[in-house]
Amino acid sequence: MSARISFLKNPDPCNHLSDYKLRYGTDGYKSFQKLFRCFNDGRTKIKPQEIEIPRCSYCSVYHRRLYICLICRSISCSSHILSHTQSNKGHDIAIDVERSELYCCSCIDQVYDPEFDEVVVSKQLIGLCMSVKSGADVVAVRSNKKRRLDSQLIIGSKFLVSSRDRREKWSFPLGLRGLNNLGSTCFMNAVLQALVHAPPLRNFWLSGQHNRDLCPRRSMGLLCLPCDLDLIFSAMFSGDRTPYSPAHLLYSWWKHSTNLATYEQQDSHEFFISLLDCIHENEGKSKCLYKDHEECQCITHRAFSGLLRSDVTCSTCGSTSTTYDPFIDISLTLDSAKGLSPADCRKNRNSGEPSVNAPMPTLSGCLDFFTRPEKLGPDQKLNCQSCGEKRESSKQMSIRRLPLLLCLHVKRFEHSLTRKTSRKIDSYLQYPFRLNMSPYLSSSIIGKRFGNRIFAFDGEGEYDGSSSSSSSAEFEIFAVVTHSGMMASGHYVTYLRLKGLWYRCDDAWINEVEEEVVRGCECYMLFYAQERVIQKAHKELSYQVISMADAFPFADC
Amino acid sequence: MVESGEKENLMELVRDRLVECGWKDEMRIACREHVKKKGRKDVTVDELIRVITPKGRASVPDSVKEELLNRIQNFIVSAAP
Repeated sequence: MSARISFLKNPDPCNHLSDYKLRYGTDGYKSFQKLFRCFNDGRTKIKPQEIEIPRCSYCSVYHRRLYICLICRSISCSSHILSHTQSNKGHDIAIDVERSELYCCSCIDQVYDPEFDEVVVSKQLIGLCMSVKSGADVVAVRSNKKRRLDSQLIIGSKFLVSSRDRREKWSFPLGLRGLNNLGSTCFMNAVLQALVHAPPLRNFWLSGQHNRDLCPRRSMGLLCLPCDLDLIFSAMFSGDRTPYSPAHLLYSWWKHSTNLATYEQQDSHEFFISLLDCIHENEGKSKCLYKDHEECQCITHRAFSGLLRSDVTCSTCGSTSTTYDPFIDISLTLDSAKGLSPADCRKNRNSGEPSVNAPMPTLSGCLDFFTRPEKLGPDQKLNCQSCGEKRESSKQMSIRRLPLLLCLHVKRFEHSLTRKTSRKIDSYLQYPFRLNMSPYLSSSIIGKRFGNRIFAFDGEGEYDGSSSSSSSAEFEIFAVVTHSGMMASGHYVTYLRLKGLWYRCDDAWINEVEEEVVRGCECYMLFYAQERVIQKAHKELSYQVISMADAFPFADC
Repeated sequence: MVESGEKENLMELVRDRLVECGWKDEMRIACREHVKKKGRKDVTVDELIRVITPKGRASVPDSVKEELLNRIQNFIVSAAP
């Protein structure tokens, strides 16, 4: 069984445990140290020296779960433990004899105390004659089936005095690790860095929701990309800072998309879509209750899936037909000529400055362009229901439901079919770190058209307040994938934002950079997350020290 | 059997076998499911034991049971005076 880093904090002690600690501190725990007996598989038992076979002092059973009172050392079975507490005031805390776990007799449940675990662990280490390495704060232990303590174990600062040198890589947030370029694979590395640090995905894999040891597909020898990702997540968060080679994933992805299995540079965005699709295929089979992606509960869709609304309006009679389509990312056209947002125009006019010939494209400009009413060409006439014949029409896109993670893809690679050439659009695109998506929601777009009348939403039933509440439309950026250079021979680099600091991930090289560097880069894929997702992630990242109980999962029965 | 320490050995054997065949992982998943259903704060260890034990007992593979039975029989035969 593998240990996972827990992002949860220690359970609070019950009143009885707190009282006990106040009165006795850790002396009680330490007095039990001599009685601990440790086994190879990591279990620790209590072996009271006087008695060979521990028995319940009330009923003499020895084959039931037994508890030994911390204060008077009397042993009771689970049926009689309550009587012990009732007849002896203050004797609330006991230890499970077979497992060395704290038990509160009054609460009738197991309780946890890191200081107790420390005492148990120190006994285990003494038993194994290990020297404990000093070092940085923490690290996860991936224990093998026998659960032998790894000699590379680095224990949290509770055990050792270690002062962190902030200049060292140790001060990098957990999970930051370079990825080796395996032959023009920067396109893959760039996307992986963004995905590894997307909080919902990170939590999904690190909490063991796709465990490669338990995967049925993998055990049958089938291809399973989520399993390869499981390996990557474990490696990235292992605390090892040496660059990692995601060879398994590359190989699996090649097998899956054989047409892209070359050493040529691939498109990051194409890889992103392809990878998410693979995960959906693997995970979705068991979780997708409906063919419609909108309801799919696979991690890909839970994280990235949103809903687009498309309104096609007949230019003659004004009747509109509305359709909804799910999306996992939005591709935005980057055309410098159309990049000017209305706000910029106003600014230019008001400031009295000579209007710039080539106005700077902005992300909001691109989003405005995406949601603009577009006159469909004469060859795209709509068959209008009320007019009864094909009419000219206009189409407008808007966002009906925002995803948790919003991936915005900037279309920098233009393929012209007529001229059979491709070119890269190098223009700089200005983008914000905080993005409010409410202006692009269906409620806003359609509302603007009809002067905010409620009838615009007929057919949708209850107006979904949650999707338009301002809090869920606020996004914060967490990753930026940039492309530099020419089309076929460029280079992808990812900028990650962790705990407010920016890090440049260039294949195997990671370093902290200033905000300005990121703002000035040529963005290709922008990864935004709903602000509550980011806030939650901030809290989780600060629980870096794993509790002893999590580092040594011997509590399993 | 307990006194000779044979029980201890057999317990360890059974534990190993149950881990190997994935029974332990199955139980872990079952516990998780139960906790998810009831909510983390509302479950006690005793409750988990009460709920999961029957499932566990029922899903021990026959091969493990057989092996254990054989070992116990051998022990009794060899220890008979």
